Amino acid sequence: MAFEKILTRYTNIPNYTGTIDEYIAHGGYQALPKALRELQPADLIETVKRSGLRGRGGAGFPCGVKWGFIPKDSPKAKYLVCNCDESEPGTFKDRMLIEEEPHQLIEGLIISSYAIGCRLAFIYCRGEFVYGAQVLERALREAYGRGFLGRNILGSGFDLDVHVHRGAGAYICGEETGLLESLEGKRGQPRMKPPFPAISGLYRSPTVVNNVETLSNIPHIVLRGAEWFASIGPPKSAGPRLFSVSGHVERPGNYELPMSITLRELIFDHAGGIPNGRRLKAVIPGGSSAPVLTEQHLDVPMDFESLAAAGSMGGSGGVIVMNDTVCMVRVGEIVSRFYHHESCGQCTQCREGTAWLHKVLRRIEHGQGRKEDLDVLLDMCDNMKGKTICVLSDAAAMPIESYLKHFREEFEIHIRGRACPFEGKGAF
Amino acid sequence: MPTLKIDGVEVTVPAQTTIIEAAERVGIEIPRYCYHPGLSVVGQCRMCQVEVERMPKLAIACNTPVADGMVVSTRSPKVEKARRAVLEFYLLNHPLDCPICDKGGECPLQDYTLTYGPGESRSVEEKIQRVKHKVLGPHIVFDAERCILCTRCVRFCHEMPKTGELGVFSRGDQSEINLFPGKVLDNAYSGNVIDLCPVGALTSRQYRFQSRPWDLVRHTESVCPLCSNGCNVVLDVRHRQRGEELLRIRPRENQAVNRWWMCDEGRFTFTSLHDPARLRVPTWCENGRRAEMGYDDLLLRAARAIRRVVEAHGPEAVGCIASSRQTNEELFLVRRFFREFLGTPHLDFRVRSVQFQASDASEDGILRRTDKTANTRGARDLDIRPGPGGLDVAGMIAAASEGRMKALFVFEEDLVRAFPDRPLRQALGRLDLLVASSMFSTETTALAHAVLPALGFAEKEGSFTNFQGRVQKIHRALTPHVASQSLPEALRDLAVDLGRDLGGIEPEQVWAAIGERPGAYQGIAWKDIGDLGLLPEES
Amino acid sequence: MISDETKKRLDELVKRYPEKRSALIPILHDVQAEVGYLSPEAIAWVAAYLTLSPADVMSVASFYDMLHLEPVGKHMIYVCHNLTCSLLGAERLIRHLENRLGIRMGETTPDGLISLKRMECLASCGTAPAIQIDGVFYERVTPQTLDELLEKLRNGRLQGSRT
Repeated sequence: MAFEKILTRYTNIPNYTGTIDEYIAHGGYQALPKALRELQPADLIETVKRSGLRGRGGAGFPCGVKWGFIPKDSPKAKYLVCNCDESEPGTFKDRMLIEEEPHQLIEGLIISSYAIGCRLAFIYCRGEFVYGAQVLERALREAYGRGFLGRNILGSGFDLDVHVHRGAGAYICGEETGLLESLEGKRGQPRMKPPFPAISGLYRSPTVVNNVETLSNIPHIVLRGAEWFASIGPPKSAGPRLFSVSGHVERPGNYELPMSITLRELIFDHAGGIPNGRRLKAVIPGGSSAPVLTEQHLDVPMDFESLAAAGSMGGSGGVIVMNDTVCMVRVGEIVSRFYHHESCGQCTQCREGTAWLHKVLRRIEHGQGRKEDLDVLLDMCDNMKGKTICVLSDAAAMPIESYLKHFREEFEIHIRGRACPFEGKGAF
Repeated sequence: MPTLKIDGVEVTVPAQTTIIEAAERVGIEIPRYCYHPGLSVVGQCRMCQVEVERMPKLAIACNTPVADGMVVSTRSPKVEKARRAVLEFYLLNHPLDCPICDKGGECPLQDYTLTYGPGESRSVEEKIQRVKHKVLGPHIVFDAERCILCTRCVRFCHEMPKTGELGVFSRGDQSEINLFPGKVLDNAYSGNVIDLCPVGALTSRQYRFQSRPWDLVRHTESVCPLCSNGCNVVLDVRHRQRGEELLRIRPRENQAVNRWWMCDEGRFTFTSLHDPARLRVPTWCENGRRAEMGYDDLLLRAARAIRRVVEAHGPEAVGCIASSRQTNEELFLVRRFFREFLGTPHLDFRVRSVQFQASDASEDGILRRTDKTANTRGARDLDIRPGPGGLDVAGMIAAASEGRMKALFVFEEDLVRAFPDRPLRQALGRLDLLVASSMFSTETTALAHAVLPALGFAEKEGSFTNFQGRVQKIHRALTPHVASQSLPEALRDLAVDLGRDLGGIEPEQVWAAIGERPGAYQGIAWKDIGDLGLLPEES
Repeated sequence: MISDETKKRLDELVKRYPEKRSALIPILHDVQAEVGYLSPEAIAWVAAYLTLSPADVMSVASFYDMLHLEPVGKHMIYVCHNLTCSLLGAERLIRHLENRLGIRMGETTPDGLISLKRMECLASCGTAPAIQIDGVFYERVTPQTLDELLEKLRNGRLQGSRT
């Protein structure tokens, strides 16, 4: 049975530009009146819980459960913040969703706000999404124009304002509490948890932070029901997922698929396989924080549990494919350079560790490695994991551990040979 | 109240207490850099991680509240490894300039590295070079290479003086503490960042390179004399063999008075104690000629003059202007001498307008107060005020200028400067006897027949009563100059010359007498006044 | 230093937020667009506008890659050098740009026209290698298309986006 696209139903229609008229003409904004008129907030939370929708940002936390943490009796304002800080290397699906189908997100955002009792919501867009933010601004104006936002939405008595807020270039603002700090006009340094945002988030008020893709699923769940949604893909990883496939594949791009899809099907059937007759060497299945997998893992399904069992993670759905010309030490250098650059710097292990990892890997790639470096790297990674305020430190350590696990030999060749053995010295 | 076990020791603490605080109660110090009880908790340094049973990850003790039945280990292998790792990470970029660092010897980075750290570095990478000597303000110099980004200084400036001069700029390992361009770190409390800094990144320009901490052999507990708040302090004095000198004043924690802090004025204004211009030897002036004179001769002459005045004009011709700079013990003896022995009602200490109000006021809502002397409250409590028919300070000056007042004692106050509008020179010039005590020559001492060198607060043993009424001890940190006596000694000898016995002049003895009298301090003995002072109404 | 028009826009912006400090980053974007970069004077202006300490504002501004505390060129070229773009030729593009403009990444042409900056993943991996010029994405860039873009930039024919 062919999988029915849900989130990207219309984006491939020629000349579809995602305006409110087009969206409505294709059946958009039907979930909103249904939710506001027929469902109580508690019903909505229950529906989303039953649907099995898990966060699409990276952590895969059950969305309905997150909503359920919002205290019902708190006198404080409640906030919904859409995390559109898509920055995980290899991931580019949220950008597509906001640029091409902004109203799907906005409809989801309005319904979700209604569910948690939020009257002021924000879409936090990463600073580089200049165009995406403009599209959202335009779409919000359209939604206000139709009475989907503002006072007394569709006569329901429910009020909601939504603003687009642009960041200014910092990966860590994708971490939900870093995002909230940034939205409060501060350095995007993640907060200690507890308290979790559901108790004390934006302006110390109960707050839900949901990813763009997560929220984009909401109208469909409302319209078609939790059971329909739960029936898509594996039971614990329900619903469609957008996989961003990039790197050495014939047809890079976003692929909306159930999570029962295997890496092999994704790479070879959908993305067209490895170009130029090359072989697959390594694949990062869930954004650059995810441990690397190899050919032996190609039959692993792309659901959260299976990827975890294979020693990696579903993460953000960013699939980076590398062929056999790729130097894994160079990959380590690039990936660690990224985390070095992006560490906010508050926790010692992360601030110093990301830099040290990068320096050692760069040294090895440039032929200056020492044989003791590899064990030092592994111990360093151990010292960086699970010990900091947020998981950036873990995200920096885990991939490097995995490169050493699967490609240790390659590191040793660099050290023994005092040079990178790959063509162009790995400087791809 | 939850009961938990820390390293096998059971402790019961109020709910909401954090593990780090609970551990402190049973004498277990969990190493920390960013945590400070007086600042907001940021949980960044990760040094205080401990293992808590049934928690999957190590927990930071500074931000983990206790729970009933919790079992905490601060020394498990997992904790020790994590701690060693944090220290290794810190040392990646920390310069090895301990031998020339002011903090060396009292540095938590050094100390924890020694106790918990790795013996050697596994890093061969070059250390990041940063600015080594940036003057941040009048008191503080910054070494960015030594900084471990605990952000205590940044938080202090935001949270205490609320001046926010410092910030963390950039991010990741490029992060650096700095000032906004063109600004200086110059708030009334800036010196506290020196104590807060757990490494030698923020050092005192005054103390810089003055001493090694281990040469500061005496750490005398005292109280700052520069306003009525009475901030608790420690006086760090260098070893006699290297030249006894007070080199540093640090705040001493007293939650009821100054918490952990003190102001810059109190911290840095002590060099006058070592000023060569200090008066060291008593002088006597007769027929316009001033000469040094031993105490015995000088006091005999003063006694003779007093006797002459009293015989000719009665005790009402003698007056005394004491000072709220004096200790309670000095003030008590002064009162006994003048009011009881000589029998004059003319006794006062109020030379500042703020002292005529019921109380002074907070200057900034933090510590500093408007009365810039230490012991106005003590002077009040000890009734250093005119007796029946007695004159206040202005009255005594007027009486002197009219020739009714013949002998006047002025202790530790420069009357001429205190009353610029009054004809002081003319008034004081008419006196048969003017005795003045002072640390330095003043316009008043210039007019005095007898000048007694006064001791500084660091040379005295005694007590001040702060504006709250809290009696707090000061202890002698410095040996007074060999030629200088304390005021109690001089008064005792003067009393002897007048045929009276002032009684014991040591603080315990004076308090035995104070405690006998009705008044604020009734029933209090010297030993009752603890390290953190004594609030009589609470005792 | 800040025009009345911008000031009016900022006054409106601040009203969006329950706490006005929230407007800080959008304001910094706007002020940067107007002044060219976040000079100490510009930072001090923003600090006064939001009643924050200048150090506080500087601390925030220095955290974000797109906020420039030093003067930058009239046009800003961001080149993604993260993994996918690197796999597909980002370093080649960087070398090409550096050679064409005679400056290194992180520098500005002497005429003040163009600045180059390495950026981390721009969420354009499906169309790598990607760059951004003045806030606008250019994807699947080759040295040839790069030359065309530079030419248009010099002739003022490349429409940027107010960032």
